[in-house]
Amino acid sequence: MFLRLLISGLVLGGIYSLIALGYSLIYKASGLMSFVQGDVMTLGAYLGLTFYRILGLPFVVSLILTVLCAFAFGMLLEKGVIRVLLNKNVLPIYVVLATIAISYIIQNGVQLGWGSITQYFPSVFSKSSVKVLSVSVQPEALLCVGASLVCMVLLHFFMTRTRFGTAMRAAAMDPTAAYSCGINVSMSTGITWGLSAGLAAIAGMLIGPMYGVYALLGSMIGSKGFSGAVIGGYGNMYGAMVGGILLGLAEVFVTGYISSTYKNLIAYILLITFLFLKPTGLFNERAIQDD
Amino acid sequence: MQKSLANNSLGKKLIAPIAILLALGMPLYVRGAEYPLMLACIIQLYVVAVSGLDILFGYCGQISLGHAAFYAIGAYGSAILHNNLGLPILFTMFVAATLAALVGAVLAIPASKLVFHFLSLATVAFGEIVYQFIVHSPGGITKDFNGIFSARLSIFGFEFSTYRLWYYFGLACVIVFLTAKYFLVHSKTGRAFTAIRENSHAANGMGINVRKYKVMAFATSAFYTAFAGAMYIHLVGYVHPDTFLRKQSVLFLTMLLFGGTGSLTGPILGVISVELLIESLRVLQDYQGFVYGILLLIVIVALPGGLFGGFKNVWNLLAGRLGKRRGGAGAC
Repeated sequence: MFLRLLISGLVLGGIYSLIALGYSLIYKASGLMSFVQGDVMTLGAYLGLTFYRILGLPFVVSLILTVLCAFAFGMLLEKGVIRVLLNKNVLPIYVVLATIAISYIIQNGVQLGWGSITQYFPSVFSKSSVKVLSVSVQPEALLCVGASLVCMVLLHFFMTRTRFGTAMRAAAMDPTAAYSCGINVSMSTGITWGLSAGLAAIAGMLIGPMYGVYALLGSMIGSKGFSGAVIGGYGNMYGAMVGGILLGLAEVFVTGYISSTYKNLIAYILLITFLFLKPTGLFNERAIQDD
Repeated sequence: MQKSLANNSLGKKLIAPIAILLALGMPLYVRGAEYPLMLACIIQLYVVAVSGLDILFGYCGQISLGHAAFYAIGAYGSAILHNNLGLPILFTMFVAATLAALVGAVLAIPASKLVFHFLSLATVAFGEIVYQFIVHSPGGITKDFNGIFSARLSIFGFEFSTYRLWYYFGLACVIVFLTAKYFLVHSKTGRAFTAIRENSHAANGMGINVRKYKVMAFATSAFYTAFAGAMYIHLVGYVHPDTFLRKQSVLFLTMLLFGGTGSLTGPILGVISVELLIESLRVLQDYQGFVYGILLLIVIVALPGGLFGGFKNVWNLLAGRLGKRRGGAGAC
């Protein structure tokens, strides 16, 4: 029981982490909150489904194609909508509302494009189950845990060890100073949005084989992902990873040992509790300014 | 003197909203037009709800993406009090709205230290928590996923059995709530709200108790929106929990931003335009949500002042031209 719950907690936690990472990266880079991450995840799942099942490409190739598409989508979103709004100097609420409008477009658009029934995402491996310490689990679950961990490690190295990641962190820290050092701040903000969309799309492709693919797949996970980001400390990359995993574990263990009635409540209770009692999160990220 | 002036300007300010709402009542004079009448009733209750959100966001500058929760507390509260305890409907509506105001105040006490994005997250979480409690209520008091039925509005035995009759009740509610809003925002409290919206640190420095006024704004706003929820259930007679998803909170906010914040007429214009837009998109069937999303995005990106901000610009431009032409004759 414990091991089974632990694995499904890690699966869910990995997904939440990828979503929360997107929120944190975006907040750090542009001080904005995007409500579209969950739906980019849905879009990723549908794109992955198209490449993998309908076009019959190998899984890895479809994963890469999906991530590239999502990356382009994220950059386009920043350049075409967010940047335009910011240049007009509108109230930040319009940016929030614009991302919500885009999430409606995705939710309804995928239904128009792929139909409103739940789509079957074919399994990635030929085996239907593998044994992990006497517990049999879906191999896709292990793929999900593994891949999300790999993503986090890669992201860590990208941000700290590459020229480009350093430039992105500099642009997020102080745009003016970074600009005067010759960093293309506008480009790096765009790339951050693209990267966040890419992470969400990976989450979508990982969860697809386990949950099936439907239009509202990401909407609930997307809003719970906020909880992961806040638990870790909004704007902190490592906080988002840890917060997301903790959220997944908390949700699965409470559901498993206590009651499944309030399964969907846990994330929001954690979210509101952290906001009220410890808004800087576990990593003490001082993102939440007083004004 | 001061008082008569205030009354005078109140009269002026209220003329426009009431005229618009009376114009909405056109179907009253046409027989056999149930659907437009129902739409007019829905618009009235949305006006009350969005006016409430305007007090919080337009005047006090505090964002909420969880107002559907207050709407739900009003609807379910009134229905449960009426169904289970047999209390008279108008009374249950007030009790439910007061309850929502208390909940709003309790939420606002810790939430008042959060600003913009994180306040919106806290209200999202609050909205979801209330939704989860409705669909998994203790003892099934809200009938969970089945939705809840309740009686149509009746006051002292007089039953508002048709939309036509309900329309007059709705109109009375709108007038009462808009008048109350007018007096609120022109009082010391309203000025404190505006000061907090403009700069909470400066407001604090001037001796305004920021937290107290934020709590008041939340409670008042919750009262309005919850009352609208109670109006809704006693108009339609039934609600489903999915009416109270985050979508509804976003709809309130969209209506407010479309019409313009911080005024009496803004919420009315916003509610009418968005509601008519949504209703007319129904002909598109499957494409409804998709087209709505795209239109919303276009309006936000192209006209961030809302539809009426855009019209206002055009109007000012025209008025400016006319004014110039008349300028020679010494007008104004």
